[in-house]
Amino acid sequence: MSVPVSQMWTVGTYVLKQRLKRRRRYPLVLMLEPLFRCNLACAGCGKIQYPAHVLRKHLSVEKCLAAVEECGAPMVSIPGGEPLMYPEIGRLVKELVARRKYVYLCTNAILLKEKLEAGLFTPSKYLSFSVHMDGLEPEHDEAVCREGVFAEAVEGIREALRRGFRVTTNTTLFDGASAMRMQMFFDEMMDLGVEGMMLSPGYSYSKAPDQEHFLRRQKTNELFSKMLSNPKRRWKFNQSPLFLQFLMGKWDFECTPWGNPTYNLFGWQRPCYLLQEGYAASFKELMETTRWEQYGHKSGNEKCKDCMVHCGYEPTAVNYTFTSWKGLKATVAATVAGKL
Amino acid sequence: MTGEQERSLEGWDPGVVDGPDLAYVVERAFDYRGDVTVVRRDGAEIVGYLFNRNVDVAEPFVEMFERNGGEPITIPYASISSIRFTGRDTAAGNSYAAWLRSREAAKVMQPASGV
Repeated sequence: MSVPVSQMWTVGTYVLKQRLKRRRRYPLVLMLEPLFRCNLACAGCGKIQYPAHVLRKHLSVEKCLAAVEECGAPMVSIPGGEPLMYPEIGRLVKELVARRKYVYLCTNAILLKEKLEAGLFTPSKYLSFSVHMDGLEPEHDEAVCREGVFAEAVEGIREALRRGFRVTTNTTLFDGASAMRMQMFFDEMMDLGVEGMMLSPGYSYSKAPDQEHFLRRQKTNELFSKMLSNPKRRWKFNQSPLFLQFLMGKWDFECTPWGNPTYNLFGWQRPCYLLQEGYAASFKELMETTRWEQYGHKSGNEKCKDCMVHCGYEPTAVNYTFTSWKGLKATVAATVAGKL
Repeated sequence: MTGEQERSLEGWDPGVVDGPDLAYVVERAFDYRGDVTVVRRDGAEIVGYLFNRNVDVAEPFVEMFERNGGEPITIPYASISSIRFTGRDTAAGNSYAAWLRSREAAKVMQPASGV
């Protein structure tokens, strides 16, 4: 695992505080989408299919910060859309860092070099660029439906690392992914010098153009087992080892849909980052009026049946680590031994 | 993608609706990734993107971003006479297949290396 100790400490103490307060449901990561606009149109993405006047809109920094305060999660992930297209991304990140939030700026990195050269960001332990990389060059360019994007992303990563920024990668795996090619990809990312990698199976967005290449549960277990059963020590993953073990079929976790709540132009998205079943006007309303029992693998909800995505299951893994001896022991063992 | 999902509602005009039919049309409009035209009972028409609805309140409502800009507006169900699916469905089509086709076509057009 490559999560810095200070970040682990922040998350661990936050979880314990929530437990002491006897809060049954609490967020871990706020998914803050300041805009839906993107400079790519990836086949697996269901986030950007909106009329032009909606794509032109974005949240104000003040609205973003109010959502961050209201939610209270110790980590803020900024996906989108492409957040580097958000005109106030520099100010937003600066404000979040000032509030000691751990920020993951999720980007395709096409604009990263340009924005770094413009001096928009300052290196900080609280800021990590989480670069979208769906595999080696051919696989990535195919996933994002444009050739040359992998090379641009690598250039952006190199520039960010050269300037002293934390850089991680985020990878979505679809049906047909090769375990061997992914292992080569892990080597390549480590050679580049990224701090750690994040992996997740894709989710079958009903609005995404490509509906045929999403992994189902058994296939997910098989692929991740093959890929990670004998991991090299040099591979660093910026995520819970228990979540990776869950993807390998070693844990039977249930979804925590409120773990990564999503705020965007439309409000607080019900019930999670992936499903759009409505919007609440406030975080309180989201938490108190969403029918949580209708979601998750065991609920029988067809939309949740095959989902194993990080935004629902990583919070479960993190909570398990910090609230059970068994979870803590398994996490420590995986971290120390470098085995999953 | 299922056949039902493939069928776009673009251009659909269900006419004047109320009760369960209105609820059904609102659900379809909420799921639709294009602009709609909401016709109010007073005859006024509002064009924009319908992004939310809530029936779990005393007075059910929809929320929209109007096409000509501004903050979101709220319209009670009780004041809606009809909803027409007038904007382009941005989720329709098969861009992944189209991209694969164009990629294959580009490869055919490229001269073989080393020739």
